[in-house]
Order: sequence, then structure tokens, then C-alpha cells
Amino acid sequence: MLNGERITRGRRNWIRPAVYASLLIILFLLPLFVDSVYYLHTFIISLIYTIAACSLRTVMISGQISIAHAGFMGFGAYVSSILAKELNWTPWLTILLGGISATIVGVLAGYPLTRVRAIYFSMVSLFVGLAIVALIGVFANYTGGDIGLIGIPPLPDIKIPGLPDINFLRSRIPYYYFFLVLTVLSLLILYSLENSRIGMSWKAIAQSYLVASSVGINESGFRVLALAVGCFFAGIAGAGYAHYNMVLTRSSFGFLSSVNLLIYVLVGGTGSFAGPIIGTTVLVIVPEIFRWMKTFAPFVFGGIMLFVVFFMPQGIAGLFEQLKTKVVQFQQRKTLRDVT
Amino acid sequence: MLLETEGLTKYFGGLAAVFGLEMSIREGEIVGMIGPNGAGKTTVFNLITGFLRPSAGRILFDGKDISGKKPHLIAKMGIGRTFQLAYLFPDFTVFENIVTSFNLYPKSGFWEALFKAPSYRRKERYILDQAREILRLVGLEGVKKVLGRNLPHGYQKLLTMARALAIKPKLLLLDEPIAGMSLEEINYAMSVIEKIRGQGVTILLVEHNMRIMALCDRVIVINFGHKVAEGSMEEVRQNQEVIEAYFGRGHAA
Repeated sequence: MLNGERITRGRRNWIRPAVYASLLIILFLLPLFVDSVYYLHTFIISLIYTIAACSLRTVMISGQISIAHAGFMGFGAYVSSILAKELNWTPWLTILLGGISATIVGVLAGYPLTRVRAIYFSMVSLFVGLAIVALIGVFANYTGGDIGLIGIPPLPDIKIPGLPDINFLRSRIPYYYFFLVLTVLSLLILYSLENSRIGMSWKAIAQSYLVASSVGINESGFRVLALAVGCFFAGIAGAGYAHYNMVLTRSSFGFLSSVNLLIYVLVGGTGSFAGPIIGTTVLVIVPEIFRWMKTFAPFVFGGIMLFVVFFMPQGIAGLFEQLKTKVVQFQQRKTLRDVT
Repeated sequence: MLLETEGLTKYFGGLAAVFGLEMSIREGEIVGMIGPNGAGKTTVFNLITGFLRPSAGRILFDGKDISGKKPHLIAKMGIGRTFQLAYLFPDFTVFENIVTSFNLYPKSGFWEALFKAPSYRRKERYILDQAREILRLVGLEGVKKVLGRNLPHGYQKLLTMARALAIKPKLLLLDEPIAGMSLEEINYAMSVIEKIRGQGVTILLVEHNMRIMALCDRVIVINFGHKVAEGSMEEVRQNQEVIEAYFGRGHAA
């Protein structure tokens, strides 16, 4: 009901859902056309990072640019792996617990973090991320420390009476569908939150925390909430990755990974929900295409980044918005002329 | 008494921006607070609305001690405010600015909002109606779809008042509501303030433009964080201390 889009632009509401729906159909039919294990793997990785990047954007729309997000992913991944490996709990449950544990850490870190804003928040969050990675090293008995954690159980078979069992080891296709469903569910929840009163409050705080608190928005409460929601999905994504990859190394959740996630969001554009989805897809898949020129792949990555920074300051998704703003501004100037 | 301060004091380092301020506001009044630049008027506002913590003294609102409470809790108790500069949500439209400001009545929970429950939709519909009413009251219907950042200054000031109304305040603090406006805009803004008072809202305002004092039932003059004088505009104008505060000694009119 309350939704920035709907208040401002009442018409043409069907275009966006139509685009999303057709995209979804293509994604669901994809395994019919792609049978290369390698390409499926690339798609799966890009789905996992889509969840993580979208959850990072949820944190960012409340004005908090976190450089700890991969750390929270890692926390969820390790919690889920250890519970499944040591206690033999089913991964279906431990993935959820991975998300919940990342949320708890996010909330615990989030309260002290509400005392700092903007760039200072980013700086402190960087250390939260590093602390999580260090923590993984401290409990080397369980986590494997620098050697890495091996022997993480994969997702167990799904047995449906009357149908052949779905085995997650024999092919990548079940994993693909698992992550596709997980991504769709996660994004639906994040989208619904963003376009509710809660999302409006997050955006209000980001624009002016003074004004927001003067109209009764609990600044620290909403900021912690954004972090909690973001960390939950980061934890889920990390845990899912753990049971897919079956090997974890703590270096994959460090500073560089957090910055990478941030780049996915920024290249895609923070202004719209589709931003991180586009950004992740482009930045995960395009470097894979250029993999044959191995040593130059990072340059392609960097090239895309620079191009976006210079020519699309609002990200790839913002390009459309940029054009639309031009039109809207023109109309508004006309309105103001008529009124004044 | 709707609002009372008892020995309200605020130090910034060694400087007493407000010192031992005693003032009270009755329900339904419009009270003007004036004083030279740096007298501590905005500090008083920030103390009342919780943006600053008092160093000493108490603030009573409706008989309850609110000193040192967080801003959003004070907003919840019914004290709205505007800022000296036209602070608003620049990336929201005028209408969204007002709608976003409805956070207290009614309040929605997390799960309600996530699943867009019928109760949530009902509350949002109610809020949209209320927001439209405020738009009408302030007279911003014509620009309701314009982004905050693209509004002319006068409109921005009106919008900040409209936004403050969204929390259904009992007491509204206006920090320089007509600063930087044209004569025409001033007359309009004053009529809006009059209308807001008509809705039973008590108003405390700070202003350098004396034109607005025509609206005020009472004027409080502050200098160096002290209350120098209090009374009707006529009384205050004759007051020796007030004249000294503004023009220095030896300028007896």
C-alpha cells in the first residue's frame, strides 16, 4: 500500500512485474538449455551472491555502508557447517540456524555501531568483519583455521514417494533449483520490507537522521533492524554456499570479499531494488566469460567498475532512473510554473 | 501548564549557552521566543526536543519529566518541531515526506508490514487520508508529487510544518518558520500557523522577523541563555533590559 513507487507513479505498474515474471520463467527453464556443469556452477554462485548483495543493499538503504557483510556470510556458513558436521543435524535446519546466528551477531555488533554514522560507520564495520574472520581462526579445532573446513555434508536427498530421489551430489541441477527458490524467497521478503513503512523509515534515516527522529522514527532501532535483516540473509547465503561447496576457507569471507559485495551493489546501483541483482550478475558472469584470458580477468572487472563510476554514477540500474528523472524533473518544473 | 522548564542549563565546554532558564507555556497559547543571535534560543529547542541533554534542570511536559529523553520518544509524547534550515527528506516527494512522518499513530509491527496484513493496509489507508488532510491544511496539494529537493524555499518551510503535524503534536516548536520568505509567503505562512493553532495545537516559535509577533499571545526574550523579559509584545518593547540586549547600553528609546 504505502510504497514510494505507487504514490508517485500510479500508472504502468504492470511493466515491472511482467519483467520479473519473464525473467523468472527463463531462470526456471535454464537447466533445459545449459547442461555444462561449469556454467551451472557460475549461475549458482551468482545466485548466492545475489542474496548477499541484496541483503547488503537493505543495510545500505538505512544509510549504513557496511564493510562487514562477507564476515556475516562467513559466520552463517561456519555455524551451519559445524552444526551439520559435528552434531549431524540436517543442513535444512542448520542453514536456517546459520542465518539466525548471523542475525544475533549483527544485532550485538549493531547496537554499538549505531553510535557512529556515515563513513565512521563503515570504518568501524570493517573491524567487525575482520573480527569475525579472526574469531573463525580462534576456534580452529572446529573451524579448521587456516587449513579450512572440509567434510561439510551436502544437502541430503529429498525423497518423494512415487518419484525418483533428488540427489544433490549426482548433478548440479538440484542445487541450482534450491538456490533459485532460496533467492526468490529472500528477494520477495527484502522487497516487501523495503516497500513498506519500515523501508520508508530506513530511507528517511539515511536522508536525515535529525528529521527522522523529530517525527518519532527510532533511529538506532531501525538501523539495528536493517542490520539484523541484512545479516540474516547474508548468513543464509553463506550457509547455503557452505553446503554447496562443502569446503570453507576463512579467507573467502575477509575484507576483499566484503568490498566485492559492496562493488556488486554500487555497480548495479543502490537506488533501485534491481541494482544488486544486475550488479552481481554482470560482475560474476562477465569475468567468467573472459576467463580464457585468465590474467586479465581482474582488469575486465576493474574496467567495468570504472566505466560505471564515470558514466553511470547511479549504477547500471540507475541508468533507466537517470533518464526517467530527467523526464520527471521536466514535468515538475512545469507543475511549479503552473502553481507559482 | 503544558510545558515547564526548571533551572534549565546547558554548558558547551565552559560556555553556558542556556543558564537557569525558567519558562512555562500554557495550553493553547502561541508563544514567541526572541533574542539576539547566539542568545540560546535554538539550544532551548534542542533541549526540549531531546537533541541535546540538559547539563542541569528539568523539563516538564504535561507534568512528566522529559529531560534527557531520546528525540523519538519526545516526539511520541507529542512535541513536534521544525528546524531552522528547511530540513526535509530531499529524495522523497512532498506527499511521501508527510506520509513517512506518520510513525506513531497508528503504529505497525514488523510482521504486519512484511506480510502486508489487512490490519497494516487499513492503517496505511488511514495514514494516506490523514496525510491528504494535512496537505490541504498547509496548502501543498499542488506540489504533492514534487521531490523535496526541487521545492522552492518557502514551500520547503511549509512542508517542514506539515511534517511536524503528522505526529499529532500537542506542542509544536517552530524554529524561524518565516525566515527567508517573501512578504507574500510570510502572510500565507502566518495564516497556516493560525490554522494549526485553530486545531488546538500549542505553539512555541523562535523568529527574528518581528512581523510574526502579531500572532503571539506572549513573548519571551532571551539573552545569553537567561530570560530577560516576558509579557506582551508591547510590554517587552518598553523593557530596558530588552533594549540593552538588542542595541547595547545607552540606547534608551
